[in-house]
Amino acid sequence: MTEEPELAIEAERLVRTFGHLRALDGLDLTVRRGEILGLVGPNGAGKTTFIRTVAGLLRPSAGRVKVLGQAPGRRVASGIGYMTQSAALYEDLPVRDNIVFFGRLFGMSNDDARTRAAELLELVALTGKERVPVRSLSGGMRQLTNLACAMVHRPQLLLLDEPTVGIDPVLRLRLWEHFAELNAAGTTILVTTHVMEEAERCHRVALIGAGRAIAVGSPAELRAAAGVGSIEEAYLVFWNRRMEEAS
Amino acid sequence: MSLSRIGAIALRILKQFGHDPRTIALVVIVPLLVMALIGYLIGDSGKGALPVAVVNLDAGADASVGHVELGEQIVSGLSAQGSIEVRTVPSEATATERVRAGDAAGALIVPADLTRRVLAGEEASIRVVVGGIDPNLQGPVITSAARAVQTLTERGSEIGFRASPLSVQTVPLEGGASLSPLDYDAPILLTFFAFFLTFLLTSVSFLRERSSGTLERLMASPASRLDVLLGYLLGFIGFAGAQALLILGYATWVLDVRIAGSIWLVLLVLVILLIGVVNLGISLSFFARNELQVVQFIPLVLIPQVFLGGLVWPVQTLWTPLRWLSQLFPLTHSTVALRGVMVGGEGFGDIAWRLLALLAFSVAMVAVGVMALRKQRA
Repeated sequence: MTEEPELAIEAERLVRTFGHLRALDGLDLTVRRGEILGLVGPNGAGKTTFIRTVAGLLRPSAGRVKVLGQAPGRRVASGIGYMTQSAALYEDLPVRDNIVFFGRLFGMSNDDARTRAAELLELVALTGKERVPVRSLSGGMRQLTNLACAMVHRPQLLLLDEPTVGIDPVLRLRLWEHFAELNAAGTTILVTTHVMEEAERCHRVALIGAGRAIAVGSPAELRAAAGVGSIEEAYLVFWNRRMEEAS
Repeated sequence: MSLSRIGAIALRILKQFGHDPRTIALVVIVPLLVMALIGYLIGDSGKGALPVAVVNLDAGADASVGHVELGEQIVSGLSAQGSIEVRTVPSEATATERVRAGDAAGALIVPADLTRRVLAGEEASIRVVVGGIDPNLQGPVITSAARAVQTLTERGSEIGFRASPLSVQTVPLEGGASLSPLDYDAPILLTFFAFFLTFLLTSVSFLRERSSGTLERLMASPASRLDVLLGYLLGFIGFAGAQALLILGYATWVLDVRIAGSIWLVLLVLVILLIGVVNLGISLSFFARNELQVVQFIPLVLIPQVFLGGLVWPVQTLWTPLRWLSQLFPLTHSTVALRGVMVGGEGFGDIAWRLLALLAFSVAMVAVGVMALRKQRA
């Protein structure tokens, strides 16, 4: 058996451009195995571009990225679960069929996928909704189905792109409890968020601005290093420091 | 009623079109394309004449006005019609072969004793050999032959015969010269609707796959581009095949349309065609942002094929570059193949190269589909 690399994700001077726009501008970041790392930053900072690059959907324009010890792509895809920002599901199909389909796409047998779907439906509290078409679900339930689809093949690395957008506070808490359980069972999680209390729940947080990681550390470390009481304030402190350095 | 509100709605619609340059381009291009094609096909210029193989065996006979050869007069009457190009051939066998090979739209055979019989007041007929499966091709030949004979009959008294003992006998090689229009048109309807409905279905569902984000999910999975395409293909071929069977079943049992050849061969033609169409739909859906834009592709994809693919006008008479262009259209080949099998009872060997052309189209479209999907991953 080959030894598993200690780092789930390694990005070095990662650049991704779209025309003249540099969405990632020399991003350096590592995600350790077994941790929950939160990406925090304003819209357009490059969070989703980074996640899509890790998922193998975007090729880096420059720099280097390794996921589970390899270049992103089909070969490592089975180790990754990707939960997109908006629920990417087949609206006409029932909840269970969606989950089973994605399971089969990741190489599971029909029976395995069905057993796993039943497990997941219980986990995300959608038992009883398995035959309901996705189009009749509420926004929150769609996100739960979306999450179940991302987890169906028991990935080692879960990429969550703003998983709690549009979800009520009760459900949000429940989702984060699930994330913590998954993480306790060994799943590495990379999650983007705008919600500061969610960032507080991560082991480490990377503050992203203009396509770079401007600071990385545990929430407590970031607050202490900035000398402020919240991650929001810490973000502003680090951003201003960076602007001063740049000028 | 509020004029200002009505005005605001109308203005908003115009502004929206202003932000959608492609719709504006299509509003200009599509009618121009249609009018240009119709003008070309129905107008007088730019089209070649239909080649007709002619065997004139008429030996002539002596009449009061001297030696008369009615056969020659019929042939010159035929070539005087601009729509027909007379190609003289030595024997009936050669003429028939030309028609069978598709080198001639029809053949006119004048028997040796034509003039003698006519002048003697006996029944006489010239024979028009046609393929029997394409009314666009044989219709003008039969009409022109009849017209040439009629012109001659009108001048009958000058030559020395009164009544009209002269007739035109049509001999179809396959199928028939007097089948119902539905028999001739059923293959066209079958291939057209199979194409149209499958294209619409695939392009819209693939567009949804893209806009709903599920395609991104597929691409983030271990599935290869070819897996995705072949999966799509299999699903849609199943669906489109069932639809083709429905059309075919209705045509056969309810409308009593003729299927002279093998029904399996009909299905084979349709399946090969549909493989290409599914991939065409997938590829073109990448150029559309929404369903409306997909619908806008339909006239651009279908109109040239319908007008230039032999569905309404014989390909043989088209301006040479257009004739070559028509050979790139799948509907050109599927129409000829289906007509051959359904009307003419042709077998696999007869339509083999049409199947090959359809296969080439399908393989090319699969390749284009794979390339289009490449844009989705990295």
